[in-house]
Amino acid sequence: MIPELGHIILITHLILCLIGGTMPLLAEYTGRKIFQIPIKKLSVFLFLLISISFLSLVYSFLVDDFSVAYVAQNSNINLPDYYKLAATWGAHEGSLVLWILAMNVWIMGFLFLTHAKDRAFLASVFSISCQVMFAFSLFTLFTSNPFERILPIPPLNGADLNPSLQDIAFTVHPPLLYFGYSGLLIPFAIAVSAMLFSTETKEWAGYSRPWTLFSCSFLTLGIGLGSWWAYYELGWGGWWFWDPVENAAFVPWLLSVALFHSLITSQNRGIFGRWSILLSIFAFATSLLGTFLVRSGILTSVHAFALDPERGLFILGILAFFIIGSLTIYSIKDFEHGEAKAYALTSKEFGFLLNNLLLVVLAVSILFGTIFPLIYEAVTNGKQISVGAPYFEIILFPFAIGLGLLQGVALYLSWGKSTSFNFLPRLLIESASIFVLIILVLFILFDNLYLNSFATIFLASWIAVGTLQVSKKRNLGYWDFLRKRLSVTLAHLGMAILVLGVGVVSSYSLEKEIILAPDDSIEFGGQIVKFESIENSLGPNYFSKKAVISFDDGKELSNLITEKRTYSPSGQLTTEAGIEAEFFKDLYISMGDNLKDDIWSFKIQIKPFIRWIWLGAIMISLGSFLAGMNQIRRSI
Amino acid sequence: MRKIIDVLPLAIFIGLVVVLFSFLSEKDDQLETVLIDSSFPEFSLKALTDDSRILSKDDISDLPALINVWATWCIACRVEHPFLMKLKEESILKIYGLNYKDNKNKALELLKRDGNPFEFSIYDFEGRLAIDLGVYGAPETFFIDKNGVIRERHVGVIDERVWEAKFAKYLDE
Repeated sequence: MIPELGHIILITHLILCLIGGTMPLLAEYTGRKIFQIPIKKLSVFLFLLISISFLSLVYSFLVDDFSVAYVAQNSNINLPDYYKLAATWGAHEGSLVLWILAMNVWIMGFLFLTHAKDRAFLASVFSISCQVMFAFSLFTLFTSNPFERILPIPPLNGADLNPSLQDIAFTVHPPLLYFGYSGLLIPFAIAVSAMLFSTETKEWAGYSRPWTLFSCSFLTLGIGLGSWWAYYELGWGGWWFWDPVENAAFVPWLLSVALFHSLITSQNRGIFGRWSILLSIFAFATSLLGTFLVRSGILTSVHAFALDPERGLFILGILAFFIIGSLTIYSIKDFEHGEAKAYALTSKEFGFLLNNLLLVVLAVSILFGTIFPLIYEAVTNGKQISVGAPYFEIILFPFAIGLGLLQGVALYLSWGKSTSFNFLPRLLIESASIFVLIILVLFILFDNLYLNSFATIFLASWIAVGTLQVSKKRNLGYWDFLRKRLSVTLAHLGMAILVLGVGVVSSYSLEKEIILAPDDSIEFGGQIVKFESIENSLGPNYFSKKAVISFDDGKELSNLITEKRTYSPSGQLTTEAGIEAEFFKDLYISMGDNLKDDIWSFKIQIKPFIRWIWLGAIMISLGSFLAGMNQIRRSI
Repeated sequence: MRKIIDVLPLAIFIGLVVVLFSFLSEKDDQLETVLIDSSFPEFSLKALTDDSRILSKDDISDLPALINVWATWCIACRVEHPFLMKLKEESILKIYGLNYKDNKNKALELLKRDGNPFEFSIYDFEGRLAIDLGVYGAPETFFIDKNGVIRERHVGVIDERVWEAKFAKYLDE
């Protein structure tokens, strides 16, 4: 009964979304009272409905109702309860329900926290969001219904959740990403409404800013967690693979960063109006496009979703409808788009323009690299090619340098007028000193210097000094700093730390493939590595080989455990890496193949500063979230 | 001039949608046609029941036949199992199994418990033959005619309806 309840409620949600998607707009255009509906109340009601629908799916997982096809495909009696909960969004169907739930949360938040003078504008944003939710509910019900039953003979046990997804980080990673993606709905709906009602640029940019920042904050955290998960769960020790799915999240992230910077300019100066509208539309479009690429099966990726061309067609239809619709309004309608104001070449406006250009061109290049294999296959009649890390790294490098250099000076710039560059000598001297300091520390820690890391290390020092200098120069009191500057300082410093982490880990890492029998030992990176023992062990739904490896660096001895798990329902193998995480470096070992008897191959790695990448991501996420909160606080 | 720039994003986006749409429809065709009307691929794999017996294409000798991709972890395979048993019991045609990425003991146990509709099952733990066949997952069923040519492919559960609609016609040839 419970799955049917969820099903019926999802249908109710769909119908109410259709009403919410049309009536308020009709009311505004015809001016008739009869079409007016209480939008705030409706948003809360819709939220309750979709929550109940989602919870009934969770319930079906928790009670092992394998007559529900989605549960049978993604759960198992022996699966721990915690993962049963996570399995709800572990595959395509359930993740869509969560997605709709997330959109609903955002639109509800927007309605309650935005104090618009213009009621029609709010109604329009709500209506457009309802239309998008309607499309998603329709998609879910017609092509990916999670409540479908296997009848008359339900299976006795389920097929199990994909083993590599049975993990703490994974249970949190998708919801964060979905909240990030779906958050971009709000700037999109605002942009379309701004065009429809010719809202003043300064006004709508102010409404849009906090939600773009929240969305960016969630995307950052989601992507960061995904990277961390890939690092320890996939057993390769890599933290970014340029996989299509990663790119599908990275592109909207870049655009959301570009967007909230552009919105700052629009809100403060009333310029970049058309540009901000376009960015809002395309940020949302790329978040849908990512979904399309991943779930239509036209790109292959490590993230396997159940593939179905029909689903691809449906998402493409949604994408085409909303984006072509909004771009048509953009090209035809004559809406308010701010004023043309002159600004100097070294003004803050120009800084933001440059920032946007770099971010957008980078995003387009990455998107192009992601779909290029498809184009190549079509043009050459089926020859396959894969665009991998080398392409993306070559592309990223010049943009990263450009963005980093800009970021270091950006906070010094002032609105409208030329900036005097008298801060430059000091910035240069201080960042050079920090640079030398970091190099020294690295030399002491790792006994080595790598020239190819110098550019990124300098960049990190440059950004950090530029950020901190400005905060100091403003001479704010303690409290004022917390209120006004903490968010931007945190986010920009986070970027410096992330850049430093990337620079060091990509040149200072050591790795080696070794073959060991029990009690064998080998020398690696100044330590004695010894294969202590191997034993069989049994988990709730897997059995595993556990190897204990000791590392002796002369001062202390540490034992790492790495595992090869065979999950019993599916027979799938996973590798659990043994990791000793420290602030400056990780020791990483993963089990390879069983060569003979108890002789195994292992991959050992030393990953310096890898934690800094995620630390940086957390700071960026926190910084953007705080910035969003500040925006909301100011508007109240 | 102003107008042209305004229409540009729309034009670019429509171009993108058209390109993506063409990929999508192309993918569709490939799934249907890639192996249809070509002969069954060569392979050399162990039998599920007997480690020492190495099977090859020549062992699929009693034609026409069905090749059924199955596994114990595949729920839908259990749904179609009774239908496969029925095909065997009524001697309609021979069925060869391709046991796909499965636990050997569990597979044997299942055949013992629910009956074995297959002449033999190829044990394809790594999915080598499955890759050559372009298998998406289990269950999948291929029809091979008397000349050893693949004529039809069905992804998903095979039952009375699917059999009548897609496979039965090839038997009369």
